[in-house]
Amino acid sequence: MTASHCPYCALQCAQTLTAHAPDGVAVTARVFPTNRGGMCQKGWTSGSVLTATDRLRTPLVRGTDGELHAATWDDALDLVASRIAALQAESGPDTIAVFGGGGLTNEKAYALGKFARTVLRTRFIDYNGRFCMASAAAGANRTLGVDRGLPFPLADLGGAQAVLLLGSNLAETMPPAVQHLAGVRARGGLVVVDPRRSATASLTADGAGLHVQPVPGTDLALLLGLAHVVLADGLADTDYLAARTTGLEELRRSAATWWPERTELVTGVDVPTLRRLAHLLAAASPSRGGSGAYVLTGRGVEQSSQGTATVTAAINLSLLLGLPGRVGSGYGAITGQGNGQGGREHGQKSDQLPGYRSIEDDAARAHVARVWGVDPMTIPRSGVPAVELLRRLGTDGGPRALLVHGSNVVVSAPAARGVRDRLAALDLLVVCDFLPSETALLADVVLPVTQWAEEEGTMTSLEGRVLRRRRAIAPPPGVRSELEVVADLARRLGSTVAFPTEPAVVFDELARASAGGRADYSGLSHARLDVEDDLFWPVPAASDGAASHPGTPRLFLDAFPWPDGRARLVPVQHVGPTEDVHPGAPTYLVTGRVLAHYQSGAQTRRVAELVASAPEPLLEIHPLLADLLDVEPGDLVRLTTPRGTAVARAHLTTDVRPDTVFLPFHWSGAGSANRLTTDATDPISGMPEFKVCAVEVARWEGSVDVLDDESLLDELGVGATAAGVGAVG
Amino acid sequence: MRIVVVGHGMVGHRVLDELANHRPAGVTDDVVVLGAEQAEPYNRVLLSEVVAGRYAPAAIRLPSLGAGAGRMLTGRRAVALDREARVVLDDAGDAHPYDALVLATGAAARVPDVSGLADLPLLPDAGVHVLRDLDDAVGILGQVHEARRACVVGGGVLGVEIALALAGHGVATTIVHGGDHVMDRQLGSGAGTATTGVLERAGVRVRAGSRPTAVGHTGGRVTSLTLADGSQVLTDLVVLAAGTQPDVELARAAGLPVSRGVVVGADLASPGDPRVFAAGDCAQPPQGSTGLVAQGWEQARRLAVVLERRRAALESGTGLDAVADAADDAPLPAGGADVVRVKGAGIDVVSMGVSGGAHRPEGSRRVALEDPDGGRHLEVVVLDRRVIGATCVGGGRVASDLVAAYTRGTLVPADPAQLLLRPVAGAAVEAETPLRMPDGATLCRCNSVTKGQVVAAWRDGARSVPDVAACTRATTGCGGCTDAVGGVVEWLRESDPETARDGATSSASR
Repeated sequence: MTASHCPYCALQCAQTLTAHAPDGVAVTARVFPTNRGGMCQKGWTSGSVLTATDRLRTPLVRGTDGELHAATWDDALDLVASRIAALQAESGPDTIAVFGGGGLTNEKAYALGKFARTVLRTRFIDYNGRFCMASAAAGANRTLGVDRGLPFPLADLGGAQAVLLLGSNLAETMPPAVQHLAGVRARGGLVVVDPRRSATASLTADGAGLHVQPVPGTDLALLLGLAHVVLADGLADTDYLAARTTGLEELRRSAATWWPERTELVTGVDVPTLRRLAHLLAAASPSRGGSGAYVLTGRGVEQSSQGTATVTAAINLSLLLGLPGRVGSGYGAITGQGNGQGGREHGQKSDQLPGYRSIEDDAARAHVARVWGVDPMTIPRSGVPAVELLRRLGTDGGPRALLVHGSNVVVSAPAARGVRDRLAALDLLVVCDFLPSETALLADVVLPVTQWAEEEGTMTSLEGRVLRRRRAIAPPPGVRSELEVVADLARRLGSTVAFPTEPAVVFDELARASAGGRADYSGLSHARLDVEDDLFWPVPAASDGAASHPGTPRLFLDAFPWPDGRARLVPVQHVGPTEDVHPGAPTYLVTGRVLAHYQSGAQTRRVAELVASAPEPLLEIHPLLADLLDVEPGDLVRLTTPRGTAVARAHLTTDVRPDTVFLPFHWSGAGSANRLTTDATDPISGMPEFKVCAVEVARWEGSVDVLDDESLLDELGVGATAAGVGAVG
Repeated sequence: MRIVVVGHGMVGHRVLDELANHRPAGVTDDVVVLGAEQAEPYNRVLLSEVVAGRYAPAAIRLPSLGAGAGRMLTGRRAVALDREARVVLDDAGDAHPYDALVLATGAAARVPDVSGLADLPLLPDAGVHVLRDLDDAVGILGQVHEARRACVVGGGVLGVEIALALAGHGVATTIVHGGDHVMDRQLGSGAGTATTGVLERAGVRVRAGSRPTAVGHTGGRVTSLTLADGSQVLTDLVVLAAGTQPDVELARAAGLPVSRGVVVGADLASPGDPRVFAAGDCAQPPQGSTGLVAQGWEQARRLAVVLERRRAALESGTGLDAVADAADDAPLPAGGADVVRVKGAGIDVVSMGVSGGAHRPEGSRRVALEDPDGGRHLEVVVLDRRVIGATCVGGGRVASDLVAAYTRGTLVPADPAQLLLRPVAGAAVEAETPLRMPDGATLCRCNSVTKGQVVAAWRDGARSVPDVAACTRATTGCGGCTDAVGGVVEWLRESDPETARDGATSSASR
């Protein structure tokens, strides 16, 4: 029996894995402070992915016949190395790009970043965490001074009198987390802001709280309106603001332009609800004698062209109420992917070095270069964020090769049809995966790698708690760890930089590289984590002879990590979504998740029980809109945006606003939501606006076969152009 | 480029902000804004709320502009415009040369022609006020605690808001309004009646169809108003809210086309001078002025775009006659620029687009819900599947939904009457009994377990919630369904004691 954690989301539910023949594991839930012995259907069935019938067990190389064929590791790696060398000789180091994933262990994320910077010496590395956490990170960094998703243990929510959940559907995305809301629901203080009555929004029913349903894309205006009411009605924590923040006067002036009636005009949230909400939050905050309040954001408000501003406004609100840095109150972002937190700390991000250091900071470069044994001058500078990176692939002067690790970009990236075109324009696409994902199937070389139960490593959960992932079974023959892949490639490319392949050794190096950084892991090791499962970063190394650092469950209790110790109130303004409804597309499209599937569905669509629960994408549409469009329950509906067309089955429900439809994004093919989404991005974080665009909705009168074969959609001439993704000038 | 903005109110302020936002990197302009008031720019929309005591004057200041936005001169009134020399003169004697001039002088309160009014200066201690700037608001606020009775002359939106604010201070307040009912620009008679009812319940008397003809005063203080029908209303505070008068003097004196406001095209340029622009309450664009700040802000944005597009011509002075661009002539997006919501405690009145007595386009459809005794009046005007106008008194969230539909142009239901009612929020759904629940109903969402699967587990021998959990994983996610699963187990136990004992197949669940 092996104690480990779930392969999926950032809650990282504790699991017990028991090996059983031939190469599977039995999975049971384990009691842990986050999941409290609970696990959702994805977690319970996670063992199935190990034995998926199409599990990759051998490298594949695309032959002259255009098909993928089995190859030996030596042949495949030789090919990749020689192509990389040849392309770099022709076009320079930046011609190779790397795309990582928020599901990779800290060790792999670290090794990948190091490989990109020291072996490939390319500045073009980024990862799919750019699709999830970049705006939360940017917002927290510029206000609180550091980005740790939840700067407090999840269990702290239990005592709260109010929790404001903005754009999070955790009842479906991380169901066991709902247990931590039991207290606040009993106190009537759960407030869910979501244009849709999601499973999470339904938790507010029966007196448990309040569901606020703004027009899609207007969460920022709602937050500005709340700040206005808090200030106007004298609800702010003035002592806290004076002692612990700077920037109040400008924030006050900025909020003055968001009076309640204007806020209602923009958000569709009526004035009494706005006032009630502000007063509910204030009554729960410590300065007014409440037992505590939390403001939490999720992808619903962050995946926006103004996501950084929205997170900033959420933090401003929490600061006005005096929440961050107080036990039992605070602001947090609910990280999505399994290692979405650690993945953004250790060097996969285009502008970062391990330990959450800036790649533009010369002291940071010098420190990391010492650990890596390279000249700081050889470390490239910042690259570009994921969407921009994908846009440049195969364009004039753009990267000619891409290495993909733990990401399925042709399903998960916005305006995904354009991404497919960009991948096709590459000279070389290499995909490391354990399943033949839609992206892997497009690759020139596919390298089969280990899964969670087959490997050692660490993951950093949504709380900033560093967890051990442990090996329960040996990987199938023919499968290697990405740590080995990276080391093998480095050697073949003639690098003398050391790439250890033992995860504990890699971790020790990561810890040294992170020393002194914002996410300092230098006091951690696999051995320590094996006996302590309650260590939250930063955990700096203790000086000789001193007791080891106990970790930091709660940040900001004494100060914010700015030179003056004060949090920054940063005024922001609402502009609105890049694509608002208009006469040709008078309905909002909101995308999101369902419980049974994870991300692009590459894993969960291979688990029979999950497919039985959610076999296909269902379009949620309000009966009034369906009536108008002559759509009956179960009818196929065509959705069109300038990026493309999708076809999905209608599910009539009053859970969505009549002006909005909702489509989950876990599927490829004709029902793939990201055929429709816009690749407009936040100017600060580079995060795409997945959550809102304008869509034309109509009954689909065409062939039903398109559901199985999306190429039919394009042949039928309804695919539209890939306007969102084009060559970069 | 040298840009002079005359007027530092909400629109002038926004012009500076938008100019800064649209200016290309590396370009600097010499921007000067002349503000007649001493105060820093503030949110004029909230003046009635200052009177209501809901906001402190300092709480409504507008954001500071970045260092590059321009030089702000407060307490400077522009007194002359020399278009030949392209220079604005201020009351301190300074000259401000420009390549582009933006008039954002706003509007002044219209003072009605009432006998005796001229005898009283518009000063706080005379008891007669207008509400146009922050000093006015502070002045009124300074009197409410001594005043016992107040009269508001004019029952438009501002008059209604002021009356509610005064009544909120406990002052017996009367609105004297010339029209048939309050807010007759926005509201039809049904909505007007409903609104009057709301006002009266809030302690505001409404004298509609009536005008003041004389002001009585004693010792330099107002004491009464005489109305056209000869009746007299005692009062010790009068607030004039009888409309506004665009401040056009600078333009008129400079020979620019002026009608009610400074005439401008869709590009906000004066037809008389391509270097002079106007925005906000002082301007008269082709579609007319709404007097609402949303329109002025939208104009500020367009102005910045237009100035940027014409930068080369304005700087060089050549080709200025030919700069007009089709894009500049497109009407500004409505974007809610004419949505009116009355601010004040206890009132819920919203109007937008085609409303009240406004002309209704051919083919449009009006649907109304009249509920005079309930203080409610809802109506919506629909054309081509879009909301083109609506009026809501006491509409609650119906109004906010209508605003969203109107401002976005989203599709309206086949039956527009659906727009006027909302499903009852929070109506308790009767808990389904295990007996009635269909087999396919999901009990445990986290693990997709249906009632049928729980029943099947029972048949396989599961006799408790932990047994069922071991079999089906129900309750093992968030645990929220534990009671429901327990209920089904209990029901099975009671309805089927035989099965409970020996595990024989039950028929109860069929």
